[in-house]
Amino acid sequence: MLTVEALDVFYGRAQALHGIGFEVRAGQVLVLLGRNGAGKSTTMKALIGLLRPAAGRVVFAGRDLTGAAPHRIARAGIGYVPEERRIFPELTVAENLAVGRQKPRDGLEPWTPARLYALFPNLGAMPERLGARMSGGEQQMLAIARSMMGNPQLILLDEPSEGLAPLIVEQMAQAILALKAEGVTVLLAEQNLHFAQALADVAVVIEGGSIVWQGSMAALRADAAARARYLAV
Amino acid sequence: MLITALNGLAAAATLFLLASGLTVIFGATRIVNFAHGSLYMLGAYLGWSILARLPHTPWGFALGAVATMAALALFGALLEIGLLRRIYRAPELFQLLATFGVVLMVQDVVQHLWGPAELSLPRPPWLRGFVLLGGARYPRFDLIVIAVFPVLLGALWLGFTRTRWGVLVRAATQDRDMLAALGVDQRLLFTSVFALGAALAGLAGILALPDGSADLTMDLSAVTDAFVVVVVGGLGSLSGAALASLLLGMLQSFGVLWLPRASLVLAFAAMAMVLALRPNGLLGRPLAGRGVGEVVAFIRPAPRALRLAGWFALGAAACAPLILGPYALSVLMEMLIAMLFAASLHLMMGPGGMPSFGHAAWFGIGAYAAALAVHALAAPLPLALPAAVLLAAFAAAAFGWFVVRLSGVYLAMLTLAFAQICWAIAFQWGDVTGGDNGILGVWPGLGVRGFYWLVLALCAGGTLLLRRVLAAPFGHALRASRDSSLRAEAIGLDTGRLRLAAFTLAGAAAGLAGGLYAFAEGSVFPTYISLQRSVDALLMVLLGGVQTISGPILGAFAYTGLYDTLLSLTDYWRFVLGAMIIVLVLAFPQGLAGVRLPGAAR
Ligand SMILES: Nc1ncnc2c1ncn2[C@@H]1O[C@H](COP(=O)(O)OP(=O)(O)OP(=O)(O)O)[C@@H](O)[C@H]1O
Ligand SMILES: [Mg+2]
Repeated sequence: MLTVEALDVFYGRAQALHGIGFEVRAGQVLVLLGRNGAGKSTTMKALIGLLRPAAGRVVFAGRDLTGAAPHRIARAGIGYVPEERRIFPELTVAENLAVGRQKPRDGLEPWTPARLYALFPNLGAMPERLGARMSGGEQQMLAIARSMMGNPQLILLDEPSEGLAPLIVEQMAQAILALKAEGVTVLLAEQNLHFAQALADVAVVIEGGSIVWQGSMAALRADAAARARYLAV
Repeated sequence: MLITALNGLAAAATLFLLASGLTVIFGATRIVNFAHGSLYMLGAYLGWSILARLPHTPWGFALGAVATMAALALFGALLEIGLLRRIYRAPELFQLLATFGVVLMVQDVVQHLWGPAELSLPRPPWLRGFVLLGGARYPRFDLIVIAVFPVLLGALWLGFTRTRWGVLVRAATQDRDMLAALGVDQRLLFTSVFALGAALAGLAGILALPDGSADLTMDLSAVTDAFVVVVVGGLGSLSGAALASLLLGMLQSFGVLWLPRASLVLAFAAMAMVLALRPNGLLGRPLAGRGVGEVVAFIRPAPRALRLAGWFALGAAACAPLILGPYALSVLMEMLIAMLFAASLHLMMGPGGMPSFGHAAWFGIGAYAAALAVHALAAPLPLALPAAVLLAAFAAAAFGWFVVRLSGVYLAMLTLAFAQICWAIAFQWGDVTGGDNGILGVWPGLGVRGFYWLVLALCAGGTLLLRRVLAAPFGHALRASRDSSLRAEAIGLDTGRLRLAAFTLAGAAAGLAGGLYAFAEGSVFPTYISLQRSVDALLMVLLGGVQTISGPILGAFAYTGLYDTLLSLTDYWRFVLGAMIIVLVLAFPQGLAGVRLPGAAR
């Protein structure tokens, strides 16, 4: 579904990613693990087109999207949920969802506010609430729901569990599993290994902008040395 | 009383037509559209031509208004696609400059097509109609203008809340990158927003015709008014613009009643008061910081070779009167004065980080102070020049007190508005300033050579002094507070005081330049405070590069030479200059500081 090859990304003169490459298969959940500053968010931003890679290739569903504008990448079927959530603060919940709406995609039942309110009942209780007046957890749900309105085949979720209470993290995990069950492919960035283990099929560990470990989630679970070395848990 | 209030409402309606477009365009694209007044002017002229070909009936007028709006929308869309779209990521000063280039070009095009004379409409009976209100007669047409306000406000409100387009535009004002990442192509959105703003400005233009006329100065006066409204209301806020239009419209009409001459000053005082209490305007929110730091790199000390060249040039300039005739000397003096003027602006916008679009204000205040000292007080030059410096410094300190804490865009717009108000005072207060005729006979009482040496000493000395100041601890502290006011305050610098001091110093130096200019020309005119002169200074600084102190010096000489050549070559110098500005901005959208100049020019 998504193939990333030898991606280099710079902030000014500082190189943040060094030849990142991995593959996400349709229907899978792949997790990018790594400490603070490892380059997870940078990878996500480069994939959605907010950062332009200096080298490398991004191929999605057979289309080369390297260096394309964000709106083209999004229309090709990739949803993006940034780490900071970036809810439009002065739009209501319903308006935030409306902004995310794109044309239905062949073969998929289009997402509607009603379906998403069923998935995230908290949102259904406050369609007229302004984005700025929502809690962190509610904003996170809205950010995911908003990206689903574009009927993506793949969503990029950047640390959805960050800063949330355990109960909400649990809800979030259920929601992501529900999306997976609908056939959505997920690329997750996480530091919370416990959360990642519950969801992911495949893991890629980044450190200092390079991939240092990759394999199945089961293999990572078995490899205590790698976990200790790269993730310090 | 009722009539005055109605007049205020009519003024508010026009202000809102202009300001709503400006503020919506700014909200979505973050561009302060200097050419908004030109769209208004085009609306008036085009409207005049269209109405001349239609029956002089209410329906004819309505049809003409719709046609004008459509034409302006098209023009606005083309402008967005051709120019603005390419500079959305450029530093804000460059965006302002580029749209000012459009202002210049439109002025020449309009003058070429419609001629320099004022155009007014024939007034058919329906336009002369009155209604009786509480015993007084009130023009019926003005009631229509008043009705535009609530209708437009309602329509915009519906459009922005009830349509997908409106929701997307609001989302764009809040987070453009996120909107793109959600799959929204913003090019179409921005083009349509710009077209809408242009159409509203066009409507304002055609509505101004029945009670007034179309003339060549309406562009700048309109954009100044619109800036004031938008700043008072809060940049990007539609409801703020509505509120501020009402406030300033009323102030205008009641102000004329109570203080006939001071209506502009009143508007300005109101603006200063609002900003002192609410720095982001009535309903505005803080703008995400995007300082001029992008244009401005750091100050490098001059390399030895350049310093030698500088001293050599100074020596040559000192010997010039021995060789050159009076005309060449006057050109040299103009260049020297331009150098000091540009260096003073550089201090403010480079190390000070405060972009000014109205630097001519201090220049003009200095010039008028010197001329008035000579004329009204019969003071000789040794008294008149210090008076010029002091008055300009005082005015800059007083004005700076209100504005030094504001962010770049606000500062640029406010300095512009202040300069325009100074211009209007010089223009309108005929008893004192001589109005358009200016003040003549301001002679230095020295021979040409003697005066030239004085100019050389003061301009070179002043520029070197500014340079010294920047190399001193004050200069370092100033740059520190520009780069990060939080960090600067954390190490105990009072950034407000520092910036105010820089503002005042820049004002004083510009005042000296203005005073010298008055003596050099022997006269003062309102054009000394014109926007054109402010932009001249900006161009000098940007042309030479903001990152060096030698930049504005070279820029002043290059620009003055270029400008004089242009004036002598063509009547359409505005058009050519505007086109050149636009080309410059398009060629170097990241600012000239991003360009590596070859060795010596650093
Ligand atoms: N806007 C930026 N400008 C310059 N450098 C940046 C910028 N954003 C991130 N970086 C740098 O790039 C590197 C990778 O950052 P990134 O945000 O991708 O890390 P991350 O893995 O998402 O970390 P976290 O878990 O804290 O979110 C870091 O060294 C960071 O300092
Ligand atoms: Mg991150």
